[in-house]
Amino acid sequence: MDSLVISNIRQRPMRTLISVIGVALGVILVALNTGLVEGILNDRLRREQGLGAEIEFSRKSGGVLSPQSIMSVDTRYSDRLKQIPGVAIVTPVGRHVQSGNSGLGFEVVEGIDFNTYSTISGIQIVEGRIFQTEDEVIIDRFKAQQNRLKVGSSIQVFGKNLKVAGIYAPEAGSRTKISLGALQNYLAAPNKCTSLMIKVDDPSKQEEVQKRIDAALPGNVVVLRRDLSFGSVGSVPGIKGFVRAVLALSIVVSSLVILLAMYTTITERTREIGILKSLGASKRYIIAVIEKEAITISFIGVLVGLIVAFIAGWGIEKNTTLQIEFHWSWILTAGLIGLGAGVIGAIYPAIRAANQDPVKALAYE
Amino acid sequence: MSAILQTENLVMTYRVGKVDVQALRGVNMSIAPGEFVSIMGPSGCGKSTLLHILGGLLKPTRGTVIVDGEDLAAMTDAARTDLRRRKIGFVFQRFNLFPTLTAEGNLRLAEHIHGNGKRTSNDKTRHEVLKLLRLENKMSHKPLELSGGEQQRVAIARAIINRPAIILADEPTGNLDSENSEIVLNMLQQLNRELKQTIVIITHNPEAAAVAARIIEMRDGVIVKDH
Repeated sequence: MDSLVISNIRQRPMRTLISVIGVALGVILVALNTGLVEGILNDRLRREQGLGAEIEFSRKSGGVLSPQSIMSVDTRYSDRLKQIPGVAIVTPVGRHVQSGNSGLGFEVVEGIDFNTYSTISGIQIVEGRIFQTEDEVIIDRFKAQQNRLKVGSSIQVFGKNLKVAGIYAPEAGSRTKISLGALQNYLAAPNKCTSLMIKVDDPSKQEEVQKRIDAALPGNVVVLRRDLSFGSVGSVPGIKGFVRAVLALSIVVSSLVILLAMYTTITERTREIGILKSLGASKRYIIAVIEKEAITISFIGVLVGLIVAFIAGWGIEKNTTLQIEFHWSWILTAGLIGLGAGVIGAIYPAIRAANQDPVKALAYE
Repeated sequence: MSAILQTENLVMTYRVGKVDVQALRGVNMSIAPGEFVSIMGPSGCGKSTLLHILGGLLKPTRGTVIVDGEDLAAMTDAARTDLRRRKIGFVFQRFNLFPTLTAEGNLRLAEHIHGNGKRTSNDKTRHEVLKLLRLENKMSHKPLELSGGEQQRVAIARAIINRPAIILADEPTGNLDSENSEIVLNMLQQLNRELKQTIVIITHNPEAAAVAARIIEMRDGVIVKDH
């Protein structure tokens, strides 16, 4: 049976190629999308956690991982927070979200007060200097390397070309930062920021400080930044639906390609199915032949899809600031979807083949 | 000796549109093990329908068909398929080899199906069959690389490799020139003589029918002569 399956696959190279591409597309769709989502979220999370603040203070509408440009917190809260026992340093951070320079994904630009921010996070200017005017930015070393930017280069923020005044390290928060004053002016939000980052005197007592802040300034959102976590990609509410849609789309596309390919194949091979029947092949045997062929094609499609996804992921990481993380569970999911699509797509053609009338099949021209 | 193939009052009626067409109108015959029988008759006399019923490809409307002690007419589709696997070998006019497989691959596939996934023929039988059919050097060729006569010999080898109870041949020389027809018919005769293989061929060609020891003539769905 194996030689029949292999010889059929080799005999119809164009059909095989199209089927392999169809399955590979589904696999690429799953692997790349989940890899991108996982990579972007984890990269963002890593940098947010590297900021060094234990507590974040914000209004209900904003928040550290909220992809919005909401400046809803009055910076004057900073003075009140500093009076609460246990609070060491407070730094205001404004956020603006814009589409990625490469056209892929999005990018966050932070407005910061460099002195307090660098005290909390430990970032240092390693090249150039800090921003001094509203049309200057500082970027981290990773962004400088990935986008081939140097001190003096210009980058697009708010649709304008701003100048790179300096490069900082290590990574913390967003990769592009401007002065908070500049961000407030661009967004027409004087004295506002997105959240206030709080460094406590004693990190082991951060819960107590959190409770004190909550009690002193009720009605605001006070979170411990160590609790920031996405868990898995599938557990993030907004992302969950997206990932499900990608999975469904992928299995539908791959199954349909296999269904059409195998349906065409069994129509072409009607007489061969008649011969199998004349030799005494049972329905189960014929279904197994068709399914084996579909699974073999799907297996090749899965391999091709994963290889292309890895290469594409490498290319995206090399040419953009986007991060891709291929988690084994998603690779496994993509593989199973590819193989599952092969099995599902071939069911109808296989049953149809198995139920053919042997005499009519043998007479088929 | 008990018959290896026996039919009683075999009737087959097809429904064509709103009209019933009787292809077989009560066929009674008995074939003993090791016999070489030709069923002859003009087109439309019902001989192909009879062959398909004898091979379990069609279920008769009425009557019984006993193949090696088992009643085909009373069987389900799956049971007839299983009987075909175990006891019948077909040879067709158009050879019906798998074009993507070599001659060897075609034989292996027949063995695989017969053995439910396992090879069942032994090397001695295999060697004997290939030698008888003079195919030892053709095993690596695909059907399109073989002449019509060679393809039909591969088809015969495929039919006999599992040593079925009966070989049913449907116009086995219908697609061959006279030289290859003679070779193929001689080989069928030789298989019958040397391996004691029961063979039933259907043909409308009197010369082809003549190679058999017994000729059954059919007309309008009934046997009119048995000699």
